[in-house]
Amino acid sequence: MTTMATPTQSAPNAPAEHYNPKSESVTAKRVKSGIFHAVALTLTAIVLYPALWMVASSFKPNDEIGGGNTALWSNNFSFDNFVTAMDGIGGVSTLTFFTNSLILAVGAVVGTILSASVSAYAFARIKFPGRSVFFGMMIATLLLPFHVVIIPQYIVFQQLGLVDTYIPLLIGKFLAADAFFVFLMVQFMRNLPAELDEAARIDGAGHVRIFGSIMLPLMKPALISTSIFSFIWSWNDFLAPLLYLNTPEKYPLPLALRLFQDQTQSSDYGAMIAMSVLALLPVLIFFLVFQRYIVEGVSTQGLKG
Amino acid sequence: MINRRHFLTTVAIGTASAAALAACGTGSTTAGETGSAENPVTITYTWWGNDDRAERTRKAIALFEEKNKDIKVNGNFTDFPGYWQKRATEAAGGGLPDVMQWDLSYLRDYGQRNQLLDLGTVNINTDAFDKSLLPSGQIRGKTYGIPTSTNAFAVYYDPAKLASLGIAEPDGTWTYDEYNSFLTEVGSKGNGTIFGGTDYTSVWWMFNIWLRQNNIEAFTEDGKLGFTKDDLKKWWNTVSDLRGTPAIVSEERVTQLAPKSPFGSNVTATEVTWDNFMAGYLADSGAKELKLVPVPSDDPDNLGLFLKPSMLMVASAKTKYKDAAARFIDFMVNDPEVGEIFKTSRGVPASKTQRDGTTFEGTDKLVVDYEKSIEKYLKDAPEPPIVGFGTLEASFKRISADLNYGKVDVNGAADAWFKEAEDLIKQNA
Repeated sequence: MTTMATPTQSAPNAPAEHYNPKSESVTAKRVKSGIFHAVALTLTAIVLYPALWMVASSFKPNDEIGGGNTALWSNNFSFDNFVTAMDGIGGVSTLTFFTNSLILAVGAVVGTILSASVSAYAFARIKFPGRSVFFGMMIATLLLPFHVVIIPQYIVFQQLGLVDTYIPLLIGKFLAADAFFVFLMVQFMRNLPAELDEAARIDGAGHVRIFGSIMLPLMKPALISTSIFSFIWSWNDFLAPLLYLNTPEKYPLPLALRLFQDQTQSSDYGAMIAMSVLALLPVLIFFLVFQRYIVEGVSTQGLKG
Repeated sequence: MINRRHFLTTVAIGTASAAALAACGTGSTTAGETGSAENPVTITYTWWGNDDRAERTRKAIALFEEKNKDIKVNGNFTDFPGYWQKRATEAAGGGLPDVMQWDLSYLRDYGQRNQLLDLGTVNINTDAFDKSLLPSGQIRGKTYGIPTSTNAFAVYYDPAKLASLGIAEPDGTWTYDEYNSFLTEVGSKGNGTIFGGTDYTSVWWMFNIWLRQNNIEAFTEDGKLGFTKDDLKKWWNTVSDLRGTPAIVSEERVTQLAPKSPFGSNVTATEVTWDNFMAGYLADSGAKELKLVPVPSDDPDNLGLFLKPSMLMVASAKTKYKDAAARFIDFMVNDPEVGEIFKTSRGVPASKTQRDGTTFEGTDKLVVDYEKSIEKYLKDAPEPPIVGFGTLEASFKRISADLNYGKVDVNGAADAWFKEAEDLIKQNA
């Protein structure tokens, strides 16, 4: 027994002794990873709590929201808030607000993609006199707060009779007025090997062909990041639609959301929160569909930059 | 969010240049363009408010169009903070809507800068208005706003809560000492779940009423402060014994409950504020019934109360349709059927014609009855507040909060507020 036991014991013992420091480090790693996950989960919970609160509150009656009520769940669970929210405001259906937001967001994405990529191509690949000056000026507009240009811009559109149309909200997107996106694409394009378009040029391709067949396909990550950001920014924009749109039938969601709150009378927080939940869904879906590309876009840019 | 002061400065510059440009144009006729039934003119009307107000206003507009075939009204609405951002931009761009719902605190800003039409030059019937009320829409003899409705200050209480604590309902004839001991009684019997009320000395308008009770003006005619630092100290000391006791709900709690009020959240049994907040409080708190009584006063014959326009109607100085705008304003403030549509959701109708033509029930009746009950105490409404009044009111609230947090004492608080107020008045002079 003892003779039998000794070798069998010694056999695992010897490697065990040998691997001992490693097995310790495995448990240490496990502990570490456990702690890491616990901390990460706690942080996630803290960060996501407002969202959870919002979703939970959308099912509560108005007088149980906020105030002294800290409980997440209400016994008076109901979909009433969603029914009220979908009823719309002042005779305008909520679907109209959704459609308007969608028109503006899709318009912004299309406009930005078209205009920013073309401008970026010019800045990154074409040598023209004053290029660096124009590039500098474009970057300088990044430093110009929107609030500074509101009034001059408003006067221009007012004189042109374009107030209460979507033109003031979209024209800038089609004219590459979002310097941030142009800059993003220029940086991306500068990191694409110049040999590619040189090769195309030798084959007889002009700028249009190089841009369309070589650059655009390679820029997919940058284009997708741009789409996502411009979609979300446009979806959430409040001030510009507030200033330029007058007719409630043309309002996008952020304007409609505010109408549930009224200091001088009663605020319907329930309906407002329910509508916030609904308003969040498209952005969430958009993000979920494209999130793979966001990560890809950011990481490729990081690697190449 | 935009910094309001900077924004207004920008607007002021823009406005000045716009005004200079406009001065080059030709003068328009007095009545403006008029329409006919076949070829009606379209005026724009804008207001702030929620879904409920939008529904009511649409009904009123439909009624107006039916009675005035030569005018079409194009109605738009936004929320309250957005409303003023939008107006500031439009004023700078010269594109204010023809007719607008207006708030008293913005009347002087826009009136002094000639953005609003002098309604004395057009035909609007104000015979049915209480004479003490009209001056609040006037600046230096020009009428810029016609009140649609009034509100008055009051003490709200929840009778059910008082009954559950075994406290008798107040009758509204009380001195400040009596009011304080009432708050203390509620607080001590409330056992940490129900407090007496919020700190009433943190409310600017309550201070204003107290000044009136002591025959002191809040602002002099030339837009300076009419009271002294000692007056303010005396006021804030009124509740010095109550701070930190259950008579007054703590500032921490108030902040936690925001944006709802402690009263709307069923944390306090009383609240001192405008009587037209009734519907909001009922909705927020879910209480079955709330009651109103007059504010305390150490002089039983002078309660310092007044009617304030809860809302006004104004027209743009640049409107092309003065006559149509005037007819619409006249209709909105005087027509009894409009009263039937709005009830007290804008406040109690200011015009007697409209008030008498409206049947009030339930909550509406409570508010109307309250205003009737204080009729004999009413004095002239104050002139439109000075430019930048909103900032002063907000800093009054903020410094009072610091007082309740114990960050400053009454002397420090009075110094701090006076410094801010004097700077602001100098800036806008």
